Amino acid sequence: MKQFLSVVLFGAAAVALVSAAGTEGGEISFEYHRYEELRKALVSVWLQCPTITRIYTIGESFEGRELLVLEMTDNPGTHEPGEPEFKYIANMHGNEAVGRELLIYLAQYLCNQYQQGNETIIDLIHSTRIHLMPSMNPDGFEKAASQPGEIKDWFVGRSNAQGVDLNRNFPDLDRIIYINEREGGANNHLLQNMKKAVDENTKLAPETKAVIHWIMDIPFVLSANLHGGDVVANYPYDETRTGSTHEYSASPDDVTFKSLAKSYSIYNPVMSDPQRPPCRKNDDDSSFKDGITNGGAWYSVPGGMQDFNYLSSNCFEITLELSCDKFPSEDTLKNYWEQNRNSLVNYIEQVHRGVKGFVRDLQGNGISNATISVEGIDHDLTTAKDGDYWRLLAPGNYKVAASAPGYLTVIKKVAIPYSPATRVDFELESLMERKEEEREELMDWWKMMSETLNF
Amino acid sequence: MASKCIGLLVLFQLLALNVVSQISAFPTPTASADDKTVYNRQLTEERPVQEQIAEADSVKAAVQSAESKRPTVSKDTESEQDLDDLTVLKSLADGQKSKEVTEVPLKKEEQYVPDESDSTKSRRLAEDYDSTKNGMDYDDPESFRQVDGTPLTAEDIVQKIANKIYEEDDRGVFDRIVSKLLKLGLITDSQADTLEYQVAEALQDLITKNAKNNEIEDIESNGQETRGEQDNQESDANADTWEPPRRRYNEDEEDVDEDDDEIEDEVDRDAEEDRGDTADNTWDKDTEEGNEVSPEDGLQDLQYFPNFYRLLKSLDSDQDTQERETLITIMKTLIDFVKMMVKYGTITPEEGVSYLENLDAMIAMQTKNKLGKSLGPPDFTGPNGKNLDEDDNTKAEAAKMQKEYENLKDSTKEEQPSTETNQPGKSETYLEAIRKNIEWLKKHSKEEGKDDYDLSKLKDFMDQQVDSYIEKGIIAKDEGDTIKRIYSSL
Repeated sequence: MKQFLSVVLFGAAAVALVSAAGTEGGEISFEYHRYEELRKALVSVWLQCPTITRIYTIGESFEGRELLVLEMTDNPGTHEPGEPEFKYIANMHGNEAVGRELLIYLAQYLCNQYQQGNETIIDLIHSTRIHLMPSMNPDGFEKAASQPGEIKDWFVGRSNAQGVDLNRNFPDLDRIIYINEREGGANNHLLQNMKKAVDENTKLAPETKAVIHWIMDIPFVLSANLHGGDVVANYPYDETRTGSTHEYSASPDDVTFKSLAKSYSIYNPVMSDPQRPPCRKNDDDSSFKDGITNGGAWYSVPGGMQDFNYLSSNCFEITLELSCDKFPSEDTLKNYWEQNRNSLVNYIEQVHRGVKGFVRDLQGNGISNATISVEGIDHDLTTAKDGDYWRLLAPGNYKVAASAPGYLTVIKKVAIPYSPATRVDFELESLMERKEEEREELMDWWKMMSETLNF
Repeated sequence: MASKCIGLLVLFQLLALNVVSQISAFPTPTASADDKTVYNRQLTEERPVQEQIAEADSVKAAVQSAESKRPTVSKDTESEQDLDDLTVLKSLADGQKSKEVTEVPLKKEEQYVPDESDSTKSRRLAEDYDSTKNGMDYDDPESFRQVDGTPLTAEDIVQKIANKIYEEDDRGVFDRIVSKLLKLGLITDSQADTLEYQVAEALQDLITKNAKNNEIEDIESNGQETRGEQDNQESDANADTWEPPRRRYNEDEEDVDEDDDEIEDEVDRDAEEDRGDTADNTWDKDTEEGNEVSPEDGLQDLQYFPNFYRLLKSLDSDQDTQERETLITIMKTLIDFVKMMVKYGTITPEEGVSYLENLDAMIAMQTKNKLGKSLGPPDFTGPNGKNLDEDDNTKAEAAKMQKEYENLKDSTKEEQPSTETNQPGKSETYLEAIRKNIEWLKKHSKEEGKDDYDLSKLKDFMDQQVDSYIEKGIIAKDEGDTIKRIYSSL
């Protein structure tokens, strides 16, 4: 009996030892990272996987902390023509901490899995350029994390060091698009006219400005914005058309967005649980269906980053609320990782959907800033520098048109499955070329005439 | 026969008429022979064209009165200016192209606003007979022929432009004309440059000529302005060259001056940097002193295990490198494990230290038993040869662990001080990460069947990256140095 007991005790001790380590296979340690630790963690990932990662900064927060981004791809540092760009941004509300941590764990996970030969991860990293920004508001996080005690206030640390709520600080392009819907006007890329206004706008926080420049510099295709305080995947538009507090506000890509948002929620058991009670007793989650919700139907958000992405650039962004508690205790972090790991990876895969390809001229040169329009969807995209484009679409039959100033438009019909993306390239003839053809015909005619008439 | 001649003559006249009246349209090849609108004449036959136009002058008067003067544009002064420029442009084109095959159709299209929609041929038909849409201005004194009907030479064109610039006192005239020509592809960039020189020369001559004619006021104002343009460029250059000496001089002054706070600050900063460096150096020296094995092995952790070191040293020969590697890995893993247990509070730091101490003692015993000898002088001699330091070393280790443990415990509550006490922690994580990378590289290149990965290339690459990260503020200088050191020790 004594022997048995000692064996049991020993076994228990051993188990206790192992679990006390709190690691996943000894690789990820689930704890909160302050700014220095965050930086250290990202540097470690880079040191472990230097051939597929690169750290860069898009600017500084108000208090001078770097807004760090870790990019993961097979050729870090450049945009490879045809390779779609993806981003995750978390912690824009400093006290919504789970997303920040999840992105650090995701970075470590992707690096580890890559080195361990996980085929899915390897393919994903080779075919995508993934940008991870664990914290858009590091100043706010420090404030929130510095609170004594376990229970963190609902508001402390939410806004940046200037007291600005970053998710209300972006230029309100929804307003403009709603007017354009009524009176005519552009349905996309509203930022073109506003570039100067953005640079000179004193009301924009440095973090907001940095992200805007980031969006303008890199041709992002798909993105998600990580928050806390509820559990749902939220998609555009966030701001209601009439200005009321709750109203379903569909974007032209409503069908596509629903599909994208669902692709996240289905792998998160909490988010997609139809029996899940609301986070707080009196919460109104009537707009939540299958773990997703339209932004305006939930509550109106003007000046948010999600809609700004969609209306100023080619990027489709959704908002992910990942925890009822904005700043839960550290020992719950492992669970949040378990709940979200598959969703996070699967959502990145969504960037390889719809139709994609190149728009070139007859000499084979890519035409940048050509317009890609889809019949029936009032939202055009543009090609990137090498003429490459990625048009996310839910499955169906579509007519896709490529056009550019000085060129003749080409329209192609295409049937699109759920995935992978269908490759459709366009060769555009320029007007000058057509004129040249006609001119040559004319020259021939003149020659003939002059020979005949002998002068 | 006669009818044929007459027919031909009529044909010519109509042709001429149409040449004169329609510049901007393309006739369609499918149009019937009766359609007399032919423009894509090659101007190798310039003289005939000019003659025809001279002929057409007689018709011009009648035609002109019926036409509106200005084509499609409804703006005011701008269009006039455009038109002036355009006609000069045309004459220029003629003059310039007297030797070349021209792209006449393009030139004649200059008034034609390019339509972005599909360029169908039917569109042109509508414009064929629209004589109001033409770019030629009969009244313009600067037409493309001289009064006596002879064609203009290139020099004449240049002269005309120079005159225009001089009269209007506006260099923009030239720029406008040239940009239009370039846009239409009628001249190349080098031709534009040549043209610029010629026009500049002509202008200069004009100015000097007028100066000699004693139009003093005009000369001074014009000359200064035009020459001023050129002078400005020169004076800018001069100013540039002047600036640096001035600045340097000022700096010298400032050195001398009392209120050279800037200099003081620099001096202070330098001193601080020096101090920082020396601090780093001393830390480095400490670790170096603590190692029997050279620090390039990156084995700072193992400095407190003298017996283990001796064991390692005894495995110096080549066959034993494998064993050596294995041993090092095992030891490191053990140390990491102990550290982790301390971190998570499973054992206290003191217990961890004593465990490791015992481990070391055990190694000594085992080697003694197995190899039948002891590795060297007895345990109580510390690695740096000082007798009583072992206790101190282990105490330092305990203190280190204690600090780390406390730091980690409070990490969600306090800002971690990024002092040197953190550096061992950071360097461990970094060491760990680098080790994983090297292992993966080894495995990966083995799997791929390639030869061993290029370590020196990797080192260079990492050095470069580390430097750029330091510059951008992503890692601190001391961290960068640590990383570089680890890599150089591989």
